[in-house]
Formats: sequence, C-alpha cells, structure tokens
Amino acid sequence: MERPISVDTQKPHTRCAHYEWDLPDSAVTPVAHYLRRREFLRVFGLGLAASALLPPGVRAGPPELNDSLNPSYKLDGVKLTPEDLVTTYNNFYEWGLAKDQPKDLANRGWKTRPWPVEIGGLCVNPHKLDIDELIRLVGPVERRNYRHRCVEAWSMVIPWDGFPLARLVDFAKPKPEAKYVKFTSFYDPANCPGQRSNDFPWPYTEGLTMEEARNELAFIAVGLYGKPLRNQNGAPIRLVVPWKYGFKSVKSLAKIEFVAEQPGTLWNQLAPNEYGFYANVNPNVDHPRWSQKSERVIGAGFFSGKQPTLMFNGYEKQVAHLYAGMDLRKNF
Amino acid sequence: MNLVLKVLEKKIFALAVLVGVGIWLLVIPVFIGALGANPLEKLLHQSGEIAIWTLGAVLSLSPLRVLFPRSRLVNALNRHRRIVGVSACVYGLMHFGFHLLYEGDAQAIARSFSKPFIWVGLAGLSILVILALTSNNLSIRKLGGRNWKRLHRLAYLAAALLIYHQAIAGKGHWQIARWLLLALASLQIARVTKTALMKLRRPSRTMSIFGAATSPP
Repeated sequence: MERPISVDTQKPHTRCAHYEWDLPDSAVTPVAHYLRRREFLRVFGLGLAASALLPPGVRAGPPELNDSLNPSYKLDGVKLTPEDLVTTYNNFYEWGLAKDQPKDLANRGWKTRPWPVEIGGLCVNPHKLDIDELIRLVGPVERRNYRHRCVEAWSMVIPWDGFPLARLVDFAKPKPEAKYVKFTSFYDPANCPGQRSNDFPWPYTEGLTMEEARNELAFIAVGLYGKPLRNQNGAPIRLVVPWKYGFKSVKSLAKIEFVAEQPGTLWNQLAPNEYGFYANVNPNVDHPRWSQKSERVIGAGFFSGKQPTLMFNGYEKQVAHLYAGMDLRKNF
Repeated sequence: MNLVLKVLEKKIFALAVLVGVGIWLLVIPVFIGALGANPLEKLLHQSGEIAIWTLGAVLSLSPLRVLFPRSRLVNALNRHRRIVGVSACVYGLMHFGFHLLYEGDAQAIARSFSKPFIWVGLAGLSILVILALTSNNLSIRKLGGRNWKRLHRLAYLAAALLIYHQAIAGKGHWQIARWLLLALASLQIARVTKTALMKLRRPSRTMSIFGAATSPP
C-alpha cells in the first residue's frame, strides 16, 4: 500500500484523524522545507565528507587522558620528538610500505573503538573485553617519556600514556608453565590494504620472555602526548618495549597469550638473519645491511648527522640483568 | 599523431622529462616542505628510485626497437638513449651523495662501506659512471664501434647489480625490483627469441621451394 503524502496544508487535519499515522499540523514538515530536503542532505553530506578530510587532530577527538608524568621516566635533558613527526612517520606495513602512508590510509573509516582485546593462553584469568573496560580494570594510566629506536637506525623520544605490562600480566595470573608472552595484532584485510599482500605472514606477531614482560620498563600504551593513540600509531592499544628495536612493540593489539614455547614472530620468520627474537638495541651487533652504532634523530634537522646508539637504548641499568651470561651476538 | 611524434623526437623533450622528474620529486618537495619527518631519507629513497627506473627505461629501448622496428614511437624514443642513460648515472650519483649526507660523518660513512649491500650499489654505480663518461662521439671513435658496444654491454651487469641492491633495500619486500626485473627480463627474452627466429627463417628463405620469389631481408 502506498502511503499518501499530503502536501496540502490547507485541508483540516480532522479529516483523517482516525488513522494511527495521523499527525498534527505542527508536526508536518513545511512544504518549502520538504521540497528543499535534498539540498539539506547535500549540504550536510558535504560537511560530513569535508570533516572526514580534516586531519584527525582537528575533528572533535576523544578527550585528553588526564594522566601525569611518572617522575622515574622523565628522561632529563632529552628533547621530545614533536608530536606531528611522531604521528606522520610510521612503520605500519598493514597500511603500506611508506612511512607517510599509515597517517592517511589508517584514517579512512577504520574503527579502533569499540575494540575487543583477548587475554588468554596459560593463565588463570582469561578475558575477552573491550579496550575501555581493560583500561578501567588495569589502569590508572600514567605518562612515561621513552627513547624509541627503530631497527632502521633512526630514533625518537615519545611521551607515552599507558600502564606497565606487568600489571596486565598480574591481572591475567599466568600459570607457572607459561614462559613467554605472545602478542598478536589485528587481522582485517578488508580494511587494510597492506594485509592483502602475500609478502608478510599476517597478522603481526611478537613475543617477550616472561621476565621481559614483567620488567618495569615493558609498557602498554593507550595514548601519546596525552591523547588516545592515533590509528597510525597503533590505536587503541599497543606494546612499548623501549630497550628493544621498534618492531618488537606491536601496534593495535588484538590478543595477548601466555605460552610455554618461544612464539614465532613476524620479522624473525621473514628474515631470521636480520631480525632476532630478542632484538635488543645493541650498537655492537650490526644489521647485515647497515651499522647499528649510530642513529638519525627524527626532527634534528637536515645536516644533523647521527648520534651514537646506546646499549639497550640507554636502559642498561634496568634490563642488562635479564641477559646476564647470554651471548648477545648469537641471541641478537 | 605526427605532431606528437615530432615532439617526442625533440632532444629538449627528453631533457625536460628527465630533469622534470628530479625537480618534481627532489626539488619542489624541499621548498614546499613535503619531505616529511626524515627529509634526507626521503631524498635518498626518491633519488635511488628515479635512478633505477631511468636505468630500466634505457635498457628497454633497444629490445623495443628490435621487437617493433617499424614503430615510429619506439624509434622516436630510441633517439634519446644517450641522454636517458646519462641521467640514470646522474641520479645514481645524487643518490650516493644523499647517502653520504645521511650518514653524516666520516666514521658512519666508513662503517656503511663495510656492508655488501653498499658495495653492490657502488659497483653498479661505478659501471654507470664509466658508461656515462664514454657516452660521446669522441669515445665511440676512439674505442671503435665494436669495442664501444662491448664496453656498453656492461649496462646489463650494472642493471643486475642495482636491481639486486634495490631488492634488498626494503625490509621483507621488493616491489620495485620485482616489476623492473619482470619488465626487463620479458623484453630481453622476447628480443632474443625474435632474433633467433629471424636467423632461423633467413636460410630457409633463400632455400625456399618458391626459389627466386624471395628477396633478401
């Protein structure tokens, strides 16, 4: 049955008062507005489309995290990398091989909230919960300034917001037979152009030993510079392991598992001679194609040259004991 | 169509394209601040990519001429082989210059020279420099056409080295090298096949059962 649309406002509304869909005159859209309805759609739609083109920072974004800097991780005398460089220079191969691609391609409608996180494997307290519930349960969130050293010999200093990984480990209560933690990122080839390529064994996986995961420095970030993580930085939740090369710090975590055996990790599977399981920052062990003795500081300028790379990225005091007696040339 | 071909044949056209690519990808981005967070790295990568594509272009010109001897387009483009080849060398030298700047100091540069990845690139570039320096009529006269041609066959060795250099430059992927290798290899295979077929056909023509009806090629 076709529904009659009356545009004749002269007729008394009582005529069809007994119909359940009858409306008072006051609720009727004025003819002029009705006739201009497409114009409204067009203008409104254009506005929506235009707002999608704006950089993420300009849109009405998520609120500030309101955390405060943990004074133990202030990094005195070190200059923070400007925020606009941290959010535009990203190795996130799920979105493309070039570092300026993720900032565009990961912001074309890819949803990182709500975001389910699975905590499982050999633990007493497995969970499947939304990112915001996880933050509520494992928080509070604090700020830490960490050095970030990429295996490609460049570096940044980033103010992360998050919580120690140890707190998440305690929350899950791993069983004694759990020796490693395996981290798995998301798998969404429909949204993610890079994941449609066969060059990489998606999804991205990484791993830490239990001792590494419990170290005070191992961190779960949910924000940077006081704002929730941007998609290109691994929203909504990622790992940060500052004494290891950046590729260990998995972005956009989907699953955290406690396992008995050393897990296979993406880069190690792809090129075992170039990327080891430990991947500790070490100026004395070169990448086959370049030296790791020094690094380019992002934002330092065109003619800045390189600065020396520090053992364990400058965190020797906190982590060297984890590798006591280990041949770091072999276990690179 | 004639006009288009006339333009394509012009030396100034080839020069404009070859220089234009550099201005577009290496000069304008500097002035509009479009090089991103690690500007020297961007220049290093872009110059290397221009160099390898230009080398790919010059190496596809002669197989194309064998495959399509009557195509006026192919013949028009083949007039520019010298300038295209020299450009590949110039962009390669820029790439090397950016590498030195990127490493920043003598020690870091020296360390980079300890890597086979860098040697392979340098070996390929050295060949390109020799070929560019002998890309003039005087050198052809001095060396003699046959020797000059032999020397310039080294371009294939340079291509092999540089495609390998490009292939291992990326972490776990070799997109550009893959396409370049596919294109150049198929062109070479097609060219060699065609030349072999022509050689096979030639004697059979002279001994043809139709006798005198055939004409020499």
